[in-house]
Amino acid sequence: MGDLLNISPILASMLVVLLPFLAFLAQAILGKRGKSGNISLVAIILSTLLSLIFVFAEVWKNIPISVDYHWFTIGTHTFTIGILLNNLTALMQLIVCIIALPVHIYSRSYMKGDAGIHRYWMYLSLFCFAMLGLTISNNLLMMYIFWELVGFASYLLIGFWFTKESAVQANKKAFIINRIGDLGFLLGIASVYSIYGSLNLVELFGKDGLFYSLPQASDGWMTFTGICFFIGAMAKSAQFPLHVWLPDAMEGPTAVSSLIHAATMVAAGVFLLSSVFPLFNETVLLFIAIIGCITAFISAYFALGQRDIKRILAFSTISQLGFMVVAIGVGAWDAAMFHLATHAFFKCLLFLSAGAVIHEMAHFKEKNNLDIDPQDINNMGGLRKWMPKTFILMSIASLALAGFPLTSGFLSKDAILISAFEWAIHHGKAYLLIPITLTIVSILTAFYIGRLIFKVFFGEFRVQAEKLNFHEANFNMIGPMIFLAICSLFFIFSWNPLAYHHSFILGGFEIKYPFAEIHSLHIVLPIILTLGSAVSWALGWNWYVKNKYPLKSNNQWIELSLNQGYLNEIYEKLFVKSTLSLSNSLYWFDKNIVDGFVNFMASIVRRIAQLSSWIDKYLVDGLVNTIAGTTYYVGHLLRWVQNGRLQNYLGFAFTVLLIGIIYLILR
Amino acid sequence: MITLTHFLLVSTCLFCIGLYAIIAKRNAIMILVGIEFIINASILNLVAFSRYDKVNYGGQVFALFAIVLAAAAVAVGLAIILNVYRKYKTINPDNITDLRD
Repeated sequence: MGDLLNISPILASMLVVLLPFLAFLAQAILGKRGKSGNISLVAIILSTLLSLIFVFAEVWKNIPISVDYHWFTIGTHTFTIGILLNNLTALMQLIVCIIALPVHIYSRSYMKGDAGIHRYWMYLSLFCFAMLGLTISNNLLMMYIFWELVGFASYLLIGFWFTKESAVQANKKAFIINRIGDLGFLLGIASVYSIYGSLNLVELFGKDGLFYSLPQASDGWMTFTGICFFIGAMAKSAQFPLHVWLPDAMEGPTAVSSLIHAATMVAAGVFLLSSVFPLFNETVLLFIAIIGCITAFISAYFALGQRDIKRILAFSTISQLGFMVVAIGVGAWDAAMFHLATHAFFKCLLFLSAGAVIHEMAHFKEKNNLDIDPQDINNMGGLRKWMPKTFILMSIASLALAGFPLTSGFLSKDAILISAFEWAIHHGKAYLLIPITLTIVSILTAFYIGRLIFKVFFGEFRVQAEKLNFHEANFNMIGPMIFLAICSLFFIFSWNPLAYHHSFILGGFEIKYPFAEIHSLHIVLPIILTLGSAVSWALGWNWYVKNKYPLKSNNQWIELSLNQGYLNEIYEKLFVKSTLSLSNSLYWFDKNIVDGFVNFMASIVRRIAQLSSWIDKYLVDGLVNTIAGTTYYVGHLLRWVQNGRLQNYLGFAFTVLLIGIIYLILR
Repeated sequence: MITLTHFLLVSTCLFCIGLYAIIAKRNAIMILVGIEFIINASILNLVAFSRYDKVNYGGQVFALFAIVLAAAAVAVGLAIILNVYRKYKTINPDNITDLRD
């Protein structure tokens, strides 16, 4: 028994990855018979247990382990495939497992009765396999393969209801935009390979992934490499200006949005940036911080005006990802990973709660035969009375998102903000713009999530209908949500609710910041944030619950926010239209110039052919025909001699004889 | 006195008449008659030249031989004409042109 339990972390992590893959294969083979999803569920439960007990517990704060297997050889370079287990990868794998498990349980109820549910389980297992594989790859090429698989699984799940036109458009958009990022990642891999001659993370950075001394190529090269990797992360983690796919990705089932497009896959970009962090030089880090800051700000702004409950959450995800990316940019990637972990729980919970609300709204719509959008928050209101548990759970998640004390979000957001301030003060005045923006974004975050809660759960129900019977979601849905809500509280991450330094995740990484710590910030900043949030909530309460709304609904700024800054329209005009017109002009070029040249050549050849045909017909054949005709004519002349009359023959013979005789006589 | 030349003249005349008959007549019988003329012209020549062979009379013997052959040839010719008539219902050689191309 003791031997049985003594599984090595490497083997365990392999099993963690392979179990969902086996579930995927099993579901694929079972096809329509595999509706229950038990296989996927069992696989993910086992993966979670293995990951927690045999991988995370063994590896965390211990010596990192890596193992390599020969993969293939090109020339003298050998590529390996392998597993790297250090604090970062073990943590990431555990997060993915722990988030995936409640989503699987939740999906059993949420997706019940869907016609394509067998596909759903298959895709979900495929996604888990890809994401878990991505986390423990010790090789950039291997990571890239899983990276692509994750993108593909996401594509399949966004387009899960593929009969809906908008879902098809959304998954196409997500896929195409992710291709841009994948291209960046691939270029980055090529660049790293050309500089260091290896793609193995252990060879590059050491097992901890923390070594800062690398043989440097020229600064320009390093900047290029860093930017390439960042572009990869930008598409996956939905950073401005490649964020446009994420709000549209909400066309997928809500459980999927919660797992993939809020908690895990979008975090893959942040994870990648953390993995290759030593590659980035100052320029790249500044660029990363600026992009993250812009993303955080504009998506928080867009979230203010959205009406679709899932879109609000999607923009909030983008905004929080912006926070993480800023953390990477200021060099505090441990804070980024910390926020990634806390965000995964409360954002997953927010989506699952939203899913429960949408579920009820959709039932309500069906019962009353109404033509309303079940995801529009303007149609909801007062749901607190019918769904108190959902209300409480969603409020906890919202408080965590807003960074309210006693929640996990408070700790991680403070970690990022304070690091950013310290970084900015270390570098100079102009840099302060970034942390100040982030502070404003935090307050905006509190406002828009407050707006969502007030509109959905407070006030009166806004649609007139006879039957108003909402009820709480069943235990299959509430259970996972309760679990996630507990994980959204501070004590999971740190015993001290007010100081992020005590959190075990930050303790595990132990990186040294290149800037000085400023103690006064640790007191001032949380107070500012909490007060700001409280003020914004009071404002929101007045506006949305007491109905003292001061703005006109067709306000220009709200319109701008609702339409996502017209970015989609700009892209449509700038890229889609220009691509189309480029294609059209290429088509024209192809048709008129390339084909035209060919046709021109063809007509010339045809003319030459006609000429030679004329020569053939009238000169060559003419000569032959003339000779033949002459021969024929001569033959024709002699023909009447053979008239068959014996007397004539005799007469001729005699004449010839006579001529001969006369000739002989005269000679 | 009648010399060899006279014989040859008569023979020539006979030959020419026979030749004319062969070429110009429109009746197969008359052509056969023309052939007889030519044979007789040659027989006359044989007899005339036999004066130079007074030992064996070879010319006269050969003449007798030729007469017999001529009689046989006429019989054969008449038989052919009869058959031609049966086939073509005419004995005008102008109308029998199966040899033409």
